[in-house]
Amino acid sequence: MLELNDVHCVIGKHAVISGVSLQIGEGELVCLLGANGAGKSSLFKTISGLITPTQGTIEFEGRPIHKKNPEKIVKLGVSLCPEGRKLFPRLSIRKNLMMGAYTRYREKSQTAKTLREIYELFPILEERADQEAGTLSGGEQQMLAIGRSLMCKPRLLLLDEPSLGLAPLIVKKIMETIEGINRGGVTVLLSEQNASMALSISSRGYVLENGHIVLEGTARELAGNEEVKKAYIGA
Amino acid sequence: MSFFLNQMVIGIQLGSQYVLVALGLTLIFGILDISHFAHGHMYMIGAYLLYIVMVLGGVNYWLALVICMAALSIAGVVVERAVYRPLRGQPHINSFIAAIGLILVLETLVRGIQPDALRVPKPIDKNFSFLGINMEVQRLIVIVGAIVFIILLQVFIKRTRLGTAIEAMSQDREGAALVGINVNRMSALTFAIATALAAVAAVFMAPLAFVSPEMGSVLVLKAFVIVVIGGLGSMKGAILGGYLLGILEALAIAYISSAYKDVFAFGVLIIILAIWPTGIFGGRD
Ligand SMILES: Nc1ncnc2c1ncn2[C@@H]1O[C@H](COP(=O)(O)OP(=O)(O)OP(=O)(O)O)[C@@H](O)[C@H]1O
Ligand SMILES: [Mg+2]
Repeated sequence: MLELNDVHCVIGKHAVISGVSLQIGEGELVCLLGANGAGKSSLFKTISGLITPTQGTIEFEGRPIHKKNPEKIVKLGVSLCPEGRKLFPRLSIRKNLMMGAYTRYREKSQTAKTLREIYELFPILEERADQEAGTLSGGEQQMLAIGRSLMCKPRLLLLDEPSLGLAPLIVKKIMETIEGINRGGVTVLLSEQNASMALSISSRGYVLENGHIVLEGTARELAGNEEVKKAYIGA
Repeated sequence: MSFFLNQMVIGIQLGSQYVLVALGLTLIFGILDISHFAHGHMYMIGAYLLYIVMVLGGVNYWLALVICMAALSIAGVVVERAVYRPLRGQPHINSFIAAIGLILVLETLVRGIQPDALRVPKPIDKNFSFLGINMEVQRLIVIVGAIVFIILLQVFIKRTRLGTAIEAMSQDREGAALVGINVNRMSALTFAIATALAAVAAVFMAPLAFVSPEMGSVLVLKAFVIVVIGGLGSMKGAILGGYLLGILEALAIAYISSAYKDVFAFGVLIIILAIWPTGIFGGRD
């Protein structure tokens, strides 16, 4: 479904992604592990078109997307729930969600249906529908960010550290939600520093270090790997 | 009492033009983070275009309003495309210098073609009296017309998909790109709307003043002060600030002296800024 081939990115003068290749099959839930500054967010921004790679190719469902603008990539069915959430803080929760469906303006009734699904997934968003997004708590904002990125009905969802800064209980709920979204048929690529949590819900994973993929394998293999344990699980 | 009321109405009329120009500036600032200092000169171009269409072309005033709005919105798109877009992502000083360049080009060009100030006739050259207020019909056109366009803009921004997209983009540009909003198209649209509003102000005001190449210079400075006072990027702030400056000026003319109106009005604004350093509506809305 998604295939990266020898992707390189340079920001300023720094090579932040150096030759990343990876594949994700339809329906998979794959995690991307890596420490601070490993390049996870940069890789996600590259896939969704915010950064243009200097070399290499990215294909989504067989189509090259590495030269496309973010709005084209969203239309094709790839949605990023970004680090820092990037919500519209002074728009209401409802308007934030409706903006998530910006590309689907021709399908009014379908969009309304998706909105109901999001409200079922996160009832708090419906209760606070008219409240400004900036007034939500961190966990609620993360739910809104995930909700917004689902409003475009993506086939591939990229989640950049959805657990960052959240209490363990909320992290658990978010992880369960992500599993549910994946079971509902959405392919998911999830980046995390919280490796044990991420590996517990994914089937496969990649480890990113300094812009390189240094390790890949099934979730079980990675969870059992001594280096992963030392670096990311703290065992 | 009726003298005071008269001055208030004149203040609101002065404020109307400030609001229309300041709204455009604050929209552009919110979306593109640039200080479009040439906005006043786009206003000036609007007034000259009115002269060409109405006086030379013999077109009806209201049709001329529509023509000027359409032409200036296209001019706004061209300015965004040709002057500001190539500089996106570069230091602010670059777009500032580009704006100064545009000001010089427009002013020199107009002065070269027509060095003398021009006059545009009033569409309805009458006075009217109401509650002891006596004034020209044109002033009423400015006041009511501005309110109509302010409401139209609010409805567009708050109630339509494209308007909300403009608001969303001003709050988080990257977030906007990620939901599929075409940020280039929105920038062009914002410039089109802002410059059309400047055309509205010019068409309303031209019959009350001289049309001259430097007519936009002081206006844009005032509009900038209003935008800062109101809170950068805030529409509410631009509306409130614009009317406030107009009323302060009118009161200064009446009770102090018309020579010192700017000193008084700006003095009050500086005090407001000292109390609220980020403007009355500090955050954008
Ligand atoms: N705009 C930028 N300018 C300069 N350097 C950047 C920029 N964005 C990212 N980098 C650098 O690229 C590298 C990778 O950053 P990135 O944000 O992708 O890491 P990450 O894996 O997401 O880290 P974290 O877990 O802290 O979010 C870092 O060394 C960072 O300093
Ligand atoms: Mg990151």
